[in-house]
Amino acid sequence: MIELTNVSRRFGEVTAVDRISLTVETGETCVLVGSSGCGKSTTLRMINRLLPHSAGDIRVDGQDIREVDLQQLRLNMGYAIQGTGLFPHWTVARNIALVPQLQGWERARVEARVTELLDMLGLSPAEYADKYPAQLSGGQAQRVGVARALAADPNILLMDEPFGALDAITRENLQNEMLRIQRRLRKTTVFVTHDIDEALRLADRIAVMDQGRILQHDTPDAILRQPASAFVESLVGSQDRGLKLAALQSVAEVMQRHPQPRQAVPEKVSVGAQDSLRQALSVMLWQQLSELPVVDDQGLELGVLTRERLWRETA
Amino acid sequence: MLAPNRVILVLGAIALLLFCSLDFGTIQPNRIVEGTPYGALDALEWGGFALVTLLLAVTLVAAVLALPGRYWAILVSVVLLLMALPWLFSGFLEDQLGERYPYGRGGFAAGFWSLLFLLALMLVEGLRQVGASAWLRLTAGVLVLLSWWRALEVEALAGLSLVMEFQTRPDQFQQALLDHLALTLGAVMVSLLLAVPLVLVMIRRVRWQRPVFALVSFLQTIPSLALFGLLIAPLSYLSANLPLLQQLGIRGIGWAPAMIALVAYSLLPMVRNLFVALTEVPADLLEAAEGMGMNRRQVFLRVQLPLALPVVIEGVRMTTIQATGLTAVAALVGAGGFGTFIFQGLGQAAMDLVLLGALPTVALALAADTLFTALARLSARLNGATAQPSLIYE
Repeated sequence: MIELTNVSRRFGEVTAVDRISLTVETGETCVLVGSSGCGKSTTLRMINRLLPHSAGDIRVDGQDIREVDLQQLRLNMGYAIQGTGLFPHWTVARNIALVPQLQGWERARVEARVTELLDMLGLSPAEYADKYPAQLSGGQAQRVGVARALAADPNILLMDEPFGALDAITRENLQNEMLRIQRRLRKTTVFVTHDIDEALRLADRIAVMDQGRILQHDTPDAILRQPASAFVESLVGSQDRGLKLAALQSVAEVMQRHPQPRQAVPEKVSVGAQDSLRQALSVMLWQQLSELPVVDDQGLELGVLTRERLWRETA
Repeated sequence: MLAPNRVILVLGAIALLLFCSLDFGTIQPNRIVEGTPYGALDALEWGGFALVTLLLAVTLVAAVLALPGRYWAILVSVVLLLMALPWLFSGFLEDQLGERYPYGRGGFAAGFWSLLFLLALMLVEGLRQVGASAWLRLTAGVLVLLSWWRALEVEALAGLSLVMEFQTRPDQFQQALLDHLALTLGAVMVSLLLAVPLVLVMIRRVRWQRPVFALVSFLQTIPSLALFGLLIAPLSYLSANLPLLQQLGIRGIGWAPAMIALVAYSLLPMVRNLFVALTEVPADLLEAAEGMGMNRRQVFLRVQLPLALPVVIEGVRMTTIQATGLTAVAALVGAGGFGTFIFQGLGQAAMDLVLLGALPTVALALAADTLFTALARLSARLNGATAQPSLIYE
């Protein structure tokens, strides 16, 4: 758990972060979102003391971070940044092995861990372990960056716009990857981004920041439904808020479930159980349908999604 | 699609012109008397003259004609010429000295030097055009050097005044070599050891940057002769009053003032390169390293220094070359080194003695250049091949 109480950070006359309070529960992903200069990166960097805070209290699992040994504090926090921050003179394997090595793991254990992480992030260890960062594509390098942050199995993950420099398709792949890993590992995560869609997608809770203050700290659903101020409303967009809301829920949560799964009719237009309501809506619009069968990975039809139901849920 | 190679064409044409028009060698009856110049045709007679002209003509034709493999023809001709030169000159010495002048000696003249210089340039261009590997470059160099070495070994050039100057003082030559190396490398090492803490302070405290750069730049502007001379008086005084310094061999003349002046001159290139090298390492990398949990020492030793190393080595290279040249001047304050021969030669109007000092100085500088360039490339390769090419080869 990470608790910030009345935390401020001043650079000379400028107050970058102004008396913010924020609690990130254990296992929760908190996304700090806002435009550049709003203080979100500063907030993140105060948590691992890359920047000391000027006032207030920051506690990690109940302990004041100023009382913890600096290196110990950082070694227990995975850290990933924009543009990867990979060391160009080290191979992929050595980059990932950094924190375990600093913690004094045995060699065999480090090697096993590197292999495990490369596998987990979909990079074949045989092919990638000995490559240098310059030989990787942007997406691959960022995967390595994430692997490095996870290497020593830290309790906390700090991610500073890690996918900011990637193209849209690669970014979406990595977001999916992130969701998959997070479902499995449940790390307490603070994630900084300026992209509201990324925030809505990844967050358990979003903290919207502007001019060094937190304007609203709530679930994605609540941020969309009840924006606390005009700024938050403009950030989430007033026109396509319905679509964003629909993107948050999966079809499986809303469909009318059949008493028994049945064999799906192969040629019939359908929607996957894990797809979002937004995708289902798009299919309905395109195909001019008022209801869609919902199928799972094995091709079994689990239920149906009707337009009325979808309307009600996204209202 | 193959255009004429203008570089080789121009170099070859100039070489041919100068070879035919300038004096090739001189013959002195003894060390003091002024020599008699000999043109290429007189010196080499028809055989040697034809050989040189023919090989030069081959390079010219190959430079103009758009034939595949022409650069190999050029390379072979140039290497053959460079290998033949000592033997051609040996023939000239034999013909002209012989029984006639028992104390006589021969010297290279303008035509010979021009030919040597232009051929070297053509060799470089030829190697560049065929995209020569390190091995091919090495082979070409070794072939030429071997031929010259062999000529010296069988005393084919015994009548050359440069060789005679060497043979009257082989021990002095060896001592000069050792002194020169010790002064140069010592100055480079000391300046590196001084530059490291200076630069580390400058990086941490920005307000130190301007005064330090101002100081080392100022030191660079003092004329070298003046600095060597200016140090004599204070050092003599200190040495006379402090027995400890005297015991260490520190006096107003000798190695002490030379070393101090050399270090002063070496500081600017050393400090500047070290500073640029270390500050050019991207700040976000250093911050990532710190955020990951490295302490300051680990960040410096594992990330900053390795990434800066190619540029640091580049600085050491420049400093070494500069110090090699300056050490020659240090002979004026009695520090020894190859400068000794240069100043002796100037005093005795014996140009070949000057050459005996100057040529090895140039050779040392070239050797340092080759060595450190190779080291910089190696360290860049260790940094992950393509990772930072911009840092090394602009």
